[in-house]
Amino acid sequence: MQNTTHRISVEKQKAKPSLFKRIGRQWDLQLMVLPALLFILVFSYIPMYGVLMAFQDYSLFDGFSGSPWVGFKHFEMFFGAPEFWTVIRNTIVISLLKLLIGFPAPILLALMLNEVKHRMFKKVVQTISYLPHFLSWVIVSGFVMSMLSTENGSVNMLLQSLNLVKEPINFLSLPEYFWTILVTTGVWKEIGFASIVYLAAIAGVDPSMHEAAAMDGAGKLRQIFSITLPSIMPVVIVFLILAIGNLLSAGFEDILLLGSNPVLRDVGDVLDTYVYRTGIQNNRYSYATAAGLFKSLLGVLLLVGANYAARRSGNSLW
Amino acid sequence: MGNGKKALRFGSVLLALTLTLTGCTGGGSSGSGEAKGGSGTSAEGGGKDAYVLGESPLEFSFYGHYDWYTMPNWGEDKASEWIKANKKVNVVPISSGGQAKQKLSTMIVSGELPDVMWMERGADVETLRKAGAIVPFDDYLDKYPNLKKWAGEETLDMLRSEDGKLYQFPNWYTTQPNGNAGYMVNKKIYNELGKPSLETTEDLYAYLKQVKEKYPDVVPLEVGQSAGAIDIMTSAFAENRPYLYSSLSMMAVPSGDTLNSVFTDGVFRETLVYFNQLYRDKLISQDAFTQPLEQVEQKIITGKAAVYVASSPTEFGAIGNSLLSEEDPEAGYIMVWPVHKEGLDKNKIFPGTYNQLGWNVSVISKTAKDPEAIFAFLDWLTGPEGQRISMWGPEGLYWDGVDEEEAPLFTEAFTADTKGRDELMNSTVNLQWVGNTVYVDNSKMKFEATLPEEKKSWETKWQSEITWKTQYDTTEFVNLSPAGDSAEGIIAQSVGEIYEKAKAQAILNAGSEADVLAIMDQAEKDAQQVGYAKLLEYKTQKWKENLAKLGR
Repeated sequence: MQNTTHRISVEKQKAKPSLFKRIGRQWDLQLMVLPALLFILVFSYIPMYGVLMAFQDYSLFDGFSGSPWVGFKHFEMFFGAPEFWTVIRNTIVISLLKLLIGFPAPILLALMLNEVKHRMFKKVVQTISYLPHFLSWVIVSGFVMSMLSTENGSVNMLLQSLNLVKEPINFLSLPEYFWTILVTTGVWKEIGFASIVYLAAIAGVDPSMHEAAAMDGAGKLRQIFSITLPSIMPVVIVFLILAIGNLLSAGFEDILLLGSNPVLRDVGDVLDTYVYRTGIQNNRYSYATAAGLFKSLLGVLLLVGANYAARRSGNSLW
Repeated sequence: MGNGKKALRFGSVLLALTLTLTGCTGGGSSGSGEAKGGSGTSAEGGGKDAYVLGESPLEFSFYGHYDWYTMPNWGEDKASEWIKANKKVNVVPISSGGQAKQKLSTMIVSGELPDVMWMERGADVETLRKAGAIVPFDDYLDKYPNLKKWAGEETLDMLRSEDGKLYQFPNWYTTQPNGNAGYMVNKKIYNELGKPSLETTEDLYAYLKQVKEKYPDVVPLEVGQSAGAIDIMTSAFAENRPYLYSSLSMMAVPSGDTLNSVFTDGVFRETLVYFNQLYRDKLISQDAFTQPLEQVEQKIITGKAAVYVASSPTEFGAIGNSLLSEEDPEAGYIMVWPVHKEGLDKNKIFPGTYNQLGWNVSVISKTAKDPEAIFAFLDWLTGPEGQRISMWGPEGLYWDGVDEEEAPLFTEAFTADTKGRDELMNSTVNLQWVGNTVYVDNSKMKFEATLPEEKKSWETKWQSEITWKTQYDTTEFVNLSPAGDSAEGIIAQSVGEIYEKAKAQAILNAGSEADVLAIMDQAEKDAQQVGYAKLLEYKTQKWKENLAKLGR
């Protein structure tokens, strides 16, 4: 009762309420958002002062106030470092490969699953395909390494029994195989989980559109291209924008674990592993921060760029 | 409707509260879980009377600066239980959580250093010293006699920092050769193949080929994790050549009075050519550079390796030997005299190295409440009584009384109850922070000499017969590494990466001897480009400083 009278009295005021009033009116909903906001503030915004390290010769003992300011010294060192171009090339190639193959793969899986008529079969496939997402990279890389091993590795055994190769191939010590192994493993691990979003989007497509298309004589493929895909396009584009923003995060754990062989450094060293090695392993905090900051800056530029492009299709993030 | 709204409001308040509260408490408890800083005044020794261990309780925190290290709880084994009860010492472990570098950085930034830090000599210790975070021991040295007596002035001088003061308490320091590096051979396979000669590198190659042919499921040469055998076998291609020269940690080869590039070094190149051949003939594991340590261990303890070359092959070898010989008395492992290239003197081949400074060091933080008391304890622990108790447990169990040289008199139980003894020794192995090599090794050897052949321990037998005779003194090459964030340190990092890559490529990807040499030439070019010459100059200078300190 009280509630109803309260609401009526608010509606009577008619005048456009101010921002505070509006927030006050939905205080219960705002309260639910509050922890998330706090979380972002505490763990994402406050620690940002740490990027200042990139412009200092940071010393653990002296801290921010005591360490001398050195301007762009570390950036200049990073751009002049002998590894710079290798690292940038690997980062871009690996992330582009992941984008080109890893991004469409879950969409494809979702589209295929959607056409499966047998409910049980569909459920089983879905469950099996998203389980690897919950395995840590340590375990997944262990699988991959033992599968690709030259001694009793199942892949080599298969190839040998099919007479495709005579001697087992040492996959993990040949640079030319590394990108393929990395991208394939990544797709295997994430395809199922990533497809959940697209499946949900497909489920939201109005069935009457499909019925209408069928009436007009559209086959299954035609329906997919003319009805399903355009309907889920906004979701796809939002995810694409986010993926482009992350383009320079070529991966960390997977590369660190699968590319531990020094032979693979020419093809496996990316910005994140480089930052980890120089900063944490060799205590060059300022230098690593500079490299990391450079990466973040490019990431933001890419995100804004992708969003700008997407705005023309009306599906932009902001 | 009204009820639904109410429930929603109640729910959201609850959700918000729990989330924020858990956030707060989580942060709070993790903060207080850290070691208590103890900002007590740092006693600077001086005219104070010597601290008497056991008179008043002593408690300090201990941090081992290694990813792999977890300190056993103090007082849960017989040795530390005795120390806790009789010397009133309690040690509180601080774990690295598998992330030693991050952990130490965090503790430095938060100003909460542990009382004792146990770590490698070199850059990290120097960083702490330069920041004035650790205590010099010079005032304590005369008050507490053990370290000075057992380590000797020469070793202590080598440990001194630039300012002439001593900040590091050494572990397993020594004045006599020790170490286990060498060649271990699978006895059963060796006998079945008719005990061929294994003296030269060609002998070894021929033997491995034979193994490969007759035992397809056995790895002919096990090279260990990160292919450590490649480093070790450089010793076979020259006389008086410790493998340290061409290892990642040194990467500098002395000739005359300068240190030179490892990439142009003939011995290193020859070793790589040899191993490239072994790899192409499938005589070493194909995943030599990536296999985890557990995989190596499995191969050794199940007898699936014919020859194992490593810096401590006896570690898995001892387990493997007892497991294999239990099933079949003919099976097990033996060690052979280090192989050498045809034409070299086999008595001048040194597959292992040792240095007087030993393994690592303990440093005491300035924030410790009573650094002198901690030093007094470490000094006691490194002395004969401390060593006896921490190695072989309290008196009356496996030893009773001492001889005139303070060596323990071992009891019947020491040889009869080997299981209990090994259990005890394994339980304290990670509490050996200030090991006294000379005392422990001599006590052990003295006792072994009195035993009949069949009762001698497998490991000790090979130590006295082979490995201790074939370890090379590299004391003059300690502390050559520059600090990670110095100009030389940055070069060292780049050269190290070039080295690792080139070595792996030379073994795994080269198709011929010419390929190996070409890879090395390219590596030399790359290394010079990042400033290798400057690094070598730095190392040469440090080496000369060492020589001056040692009076050589």
